[in-house]
Amino acid sequence: MKGTYLGEFEEVVLLAAAILSGDAYGAAITNEIEQQMGRSVNLGAVHAALHRLEEKGLLSSRMGGATAERGGRSKRLFTVTMAGTRALDNIRDIRNRMWDNIPKPA
Amino acid sequence: MKPNHIQKPPKWATWLLHCLCADHLMEEMDGDLEELFYQRVKSVGVTKARFRYVIDVFSMLRPFAFKKKKNTYPQFTYTQPAMIRNNFKIAFRNLWKHKAFTFINVMGLTVGMSACFLIALYVHFELSYDGFNKKADRIYRLATDLKTTSETLNYSISSWAFGPNLKNEFEEVEAFTRISTRNYLVRKGDLKFKEEKTVFADSSLFNVFDFELIKGDPKTALKDQMSIVFTEKTAKKYFGDADPIGQTLLLGDEGIPATVTGVMKEAPANSQIKGDLFVSMSSYTQRFNKGVDTDWGNFGTTTYLLLNPGVKTEKLAAKFPPFLEKHAGQMMRENKMAITFVMEPLLDIYLHSKREAEESGSMNNVYIFSVVAIFILLIACINFINLTTARSAERAREVGVRKAVGAARSLLRRQFIIESVLLCTIAFVFSVVLSAISIPFFNDLSGKIISTGIADNPQFVACLFLAALLIGCLAGIYPAFVLSSFDPIVVLKGRFTMSAKGNLLRKGLVTVQFAVSIALIIATIVVYKQVNFMRSRDLGFSKDQMLVINGETDKKRNVFQESLLNISGVKSTAASTRVPGSKNNEAYSEIENARGEMQSGNLEVYSVDFNFLQQFDLKIIAGRAFSKAFGSDSSKALVINEAAARMLGYQSPQEAIGRKYKQWGRQGTIIGVVKDFHFKSLQENITPLTFRFLDFWNGDLVSVKIEGNHVRQTLASIEKEWKAQNPEKPFTYYFMDEYFDRQYRADERFERLFLDFAVLAIFISCLGLLGLASYSTMQRTKEIGVRKVMGASTGSIVGLLSKDFLKLVSLAFLIASPLAWFGMRKWLQNFAYQTDIEWWVFAVAAILSGTIAFATISFQSIKAAFMNPIKSLRSE
Repeated sequence: MKGTYLGEFEEVVLLAAAILSGDAYGAAITNEIEQQMGRSVNLGAVHAALHRLEEKGLLSSRMGGATAERGGRSKRLFTVTMAGTRALDNIRDIRNRMWDNIPKPA
Repeated sequence: MKPNHIQKPPKWATWLLHCLCADHLMEEMDGDLEELFYQRVKSVGVTKARFRYVIDVFSMLRPFAFKKKKNTYPQFTYTQPAMIRNNFKIAFRNLWKHKAFTFINVMGLTVGMSACFLIALYVHFELSYDGFNKKADRIYRLATDLKTTSETLNYSISSWAFGPNLKNEFEEVEAFTRISTRNYLVRKGDLKFKEEKTVFADSSLFNVFDFELIKGDPKTALKDQMSIVFTEKTAKKYFGDADPIGQTLLLGDEGIPATVTGVMKEAPANSQIKGDLFVSMSSYTQRFNKGVDTDWGNFGTTTYLLLNPGVKTEKLAAKFPPFLEKHAGQMMRENKMAITFVMEPLLDIYLHSKREAEESGSMNNVYIFSVVAIFILLIACINFINLTTARSAERAREVGVRKAVGAARSLLRRQFIIESVLLCTIAFVFSVVLSAISIPFFNDLSGKIISTGIADNPQFVACLFLAALLIGCLAGIYPAFVLSSFDPIVVLKGRFTMSAKGNLLRKGLVTVQFAVSIALIIATIVVYKQVNFMRSRDLGFSKDQMLVINGETDKKRNVFQESLLNISGVKSTAASTRVPGSKNNEAYSEIENARGEMQSGNLEVYSVDFNFLQQFDLKIIAGRAFSKAFGSDSSKALVINEAAARMLGYQSPQEAIGRKYKQWGRQGTIIGVVKDFHFKSLQENITPLTFRFLDFWNGDLVSVKIEGNHVRQTLASIEKEWKAQNPEKPFTYYFMDEYFDRQYRADERFERLFLDFAVLAIFISCLGLLGLASYSTMQRTKEIGVRKVMGASTGSIVGLLSKDFLKLVSLAFLIASPLAWFGMRKWLQNFAYQTDIEWWVFAVAAILSGTIAFATISFQSIKAAFMNPIKSLRSE
């Protein structure tokens, strides 16, 4: 298994997947990130990140039903796994701790 | 809003994605892209959406997208070891199941491949002549064309002075070496041998050619006067296991002591320079008391030049005429001749030089045998193709079942090709064994040590293996395509019949096979006829019961001859320098021609004694023979042959009598003309010849006519007499008829090789025919059964089955005859005296091939005809 270290973009994608819980797939995640961060995102980059996250075991996927808006194609729906949740918690804890450690100006 | 049809993502981008993306990711990616596209069409417009679409497609092309994910169903791949194992297993089972078929094919291919292998060895040997010399591409033989007033002589030899002077004057010449081979008497204590391959050679011999010295220094070995280098074998002859270096031998009749300075490794069999004993050239000067390096007029040596790298031969050759003019101009004018140098590349001499080379190969034979080898292999391959496709009906069901179960066509093809490659590999193993066994026989047959064993030629074995694989693939391709093309529905329904096209092809191939075989039979008969013709032709002189003793008896010769006449079995004796069949000897001569001018030219010379013409039964057709009654005969008389009289322009031989001549310091008149006789091999025309009276010192040969019955006793008495008179010289002799037959040995070898190959070709063709016949009878088992039940006779059934094949053999004969006739006529043109290709040659070939083919087929058809019809009718 690959290292559990998360890149910045991976973290964002993972978070978006967590937000969309249950309805996370390529296009939806792209939209979510664009809205949340106000920046345009490459679909390819999202897919790559999703792929990696799945390999790391932080996401799991299954094929969802077909919808008309996608020309009848089905989507791959991602769910954050336990490991994924833990990884996000972990990062958040570390960040918090680090914030706490910033010396307050006197 | 814009019309609907343009609200679509760019097709090419989608197409690109489809091309490059892994299948299992395709659907979601496509879906995501399209979803986003339509969202964007709404938010930012079609153009931007399309632009973003393209960007997204390109961003999708990431490494992960190319990775093929393992399919849920295991994907079939051809390279899986299990599949290959399975292919081989089935191939083995198939070959094993049809033993007769396998046997016929393996046998045919084995024989064909062995033949090819041996011929490849032969061809390589011929082509690689002298190739072992590392500097071979820079070595040239300095040959000379000698133009006299009447003719141009193409000599391979040159005169002694050419080599050293060329080296002195032209910096292009890096080195030269001269060799001169002769018979020489060598003695050491009681051991004495006439060394036939004694070679005088310059010390640069080992610099120019790559002969390996086991002992001694190649730089100095042949430098000093009277130094000797000899081969291991010769060293052993004289010295056994003792170290020969520094030892002394006695050379020549005079017994000049010479010191051994080196032992040479035996030269490769494909070397032009063959010597058992090499004597330093400087000794030659001493022996003949001549300054050889300045002797411009004596053409007695073969000169090889080693040119510097990069020298253009044309440029060098352009400098030769002035060189010759400077040194030999006067001599040339005095003798009314002109010399031209010709540089022959060493590597071309053996196969291409048309000069009177000592030993030459024939490019024609190389071509002929290569073609024959390819034909034999072709016949074997045709067998394979024929038998496999013939059996296709049998295997059709197998193909049908495999296809129905889901085998791809390519897989079936592979199965059949593996089978054929396997077959060829088995044949390869057998043919290596067969070749290893037959190499000694082949050496014997070709009269050369072409190879000492299979281990000598690993690269050839490797090539043969590759060839076997290639043949396997090629011969397998056609059947593989035919077999794999069957429609499973038709085949499994049982309505399958063999296609007419396949039948036609098979018939065509059988015809080709037999055409080749028949052509080889015709060729064999013609070659045999020619050899026989040459052997039995009346040569115009008597050679039976004639013993030739290599004398060099000098002044004692007369005494020896006298004493021989006392032996009861000896009829008569004669002395001469040459006898019919021995090497030529030419002398510069001037003879008065029909117009009364002195015509000059080099003519063959026989120096003979009074008895010679009578001894050999040569017919005098004008004038008279040498006679003791005329005192001046021994110093003035000349006898010529008819050809010489014709050359001089005389209408009748009678005219030549009394004409003047000059030759070798003698002048006088012609006293007689001898009827033409074949003093050379029948490959050559009869050329002008002169007889002069023997000088007392140069009668090398004593020929003895002996009486019929007690040859062995007579021979023993002669030897006893020889030993008594010449204790220091070995007694060497030969029988004339045997010696004469030896001239045709090369042709006899050719005949033998042709015969063997013809037999092989016929054999392989018949194997194929046997296979086909057995197959077709098997297929017609039911028909035969029905016919027998209805009352057909055995004979009629045999006829029925054989007819088809015999038709093909007849057709093959019609194709082969004109081709063989044409080819053999060309071959016969090599001979000055040729046999005719008569009609019976073709008749014999036709009857022979027809009989063999019929015998092969009837073996099967008789079996079928005798079979109990009840059994055959039940079989289906």
